[in-house]
Amino acid sequence: MLRTRRVSYLEGLRYQGKESMLAWVLHRITGLGILFFVGTHVVAAFFLNAIGDNISKSVTLWYESTPFQIFIYFCVLYHAFNGLRLVVEDFYPPVLRYRRELLWLQWLIFLPVFGLPAFLMVLSLFSGSA
Amino acid sequence: MAQGEPMQVKLKIRRFNPETDKKRWWGHYQAEVEPTDRVLDALHYVKWHVDGTLAFRRSCAHGICGSDAMLINGRNQLACKVLIKEVGRKITVEPLLGLPVIKDLVVDMEPFFEQYRAVKPYLVNDDPPPATERRQSIEERERFDDTTKCILCAACTTSCPSFWARSDYLGPAAIVQAHRFIFDSRDQASQERLQILAESNGVWRCRNIYNCTEACPREIQVTQAVAEVKREMMRRRV
Ligand code: FES
Repeated sequence: MLRTRRVSYLEGLRYQGKESMLAWVLHRITGLGILFFVGTHVVAAFFLNAIGDNISKSVTLWYESTPFQIFIYFCVLYHAFNGLRLVVEDFYPPVLRYRRELLWLQWLIFLPVFGLPAFLMVLSLFSGSA
Repeated sequence: MAQGEPMQVKLKIRRFNPETDKKRWWGHYQAEVEPTDRVLDALHYVKWHVDGTLAFRRSCAHGICGSDAMLINGRNQLACKVLIKEVGRKITVEPLLGLPVIKDLVVDMEPFFEQYRAVKPYLVNDDPPPATERRQSIEERERFDDTTKCILCAACTTSCPSFWARSDYLGPAAIVQAHRFIFDSRDQASQERLQILAESNGVWRCRNIYNCTEACPREIQVTQAVAEVKREMMRRRV
């Protein structure tokens, strides 16, 4: 067994990584977001038609709310796009020389694909048709 | 910062002496240096003029031996390579993350070398040696040129979140060393090395975070080397 030293979360997050470290941190956060989303469904389904029917209803109401929908849309989309970038990098290592450009390209595609539907969701929320 | 003019810098250094300290603590020092001096010169100033008990490693002082990799202003760098004018007047210096601290900035490199040895970092060729050298074309040599530059300073491995999370991960430096031999046309143990790296503590722990590539003082494309090893595994279906 190796005798290494434990690195705390704080120490790790204090490390001055560049944009690709942030991309990875965001990948983890969005992954947890997706897990959380699935969790809320499980909770809602668990309480459905049981003693806590009200709990089920309020959880459903909560995850169907527009802010949560936008959050989960962000999580799924970012996780998918970032994952695809990693797949491309692993299959064609020479592109790694352009890793920064690749990351910018990812955001360039991500922003409109995320932004436009998110904007429409917010719009429909305020127009009362949500 | 005017070139060549002496200036005062503030150093905040993470200290720890296992014989007297229960916990690590921050030492605060002033050093007189020039903008074109290196962080190593500032550390020398502290050790030679302010506090002789400060411990750190260095040998060549010219970026060749890899002894003085440390966490400087939050990033792994060689103290003998980074200039004062690049880091400013406030400098924070800590030992490398993940390796046990022996004293102050000196870490125990043994876990790192253990990973290094695990990938058989030497030429394996059982054919009888030819009368002259084992020949190689320019293109064949070129294939692994980048990874021959490694000085085993551990800046890459100790900047890697996958290594922080799992100490048994072989880490980028060991993979770079493996890459150097896997793609060497004279070597005959590449399959064996790929099998070692295909284990759960091998290349698939790499999440393409690139801290290693950013930290490498020799500008080796570390993540690319790791990705090339992954690709080779897929190609050979290891
Ligand atoms: S002292 Fe040798 S690399 Fe810095």
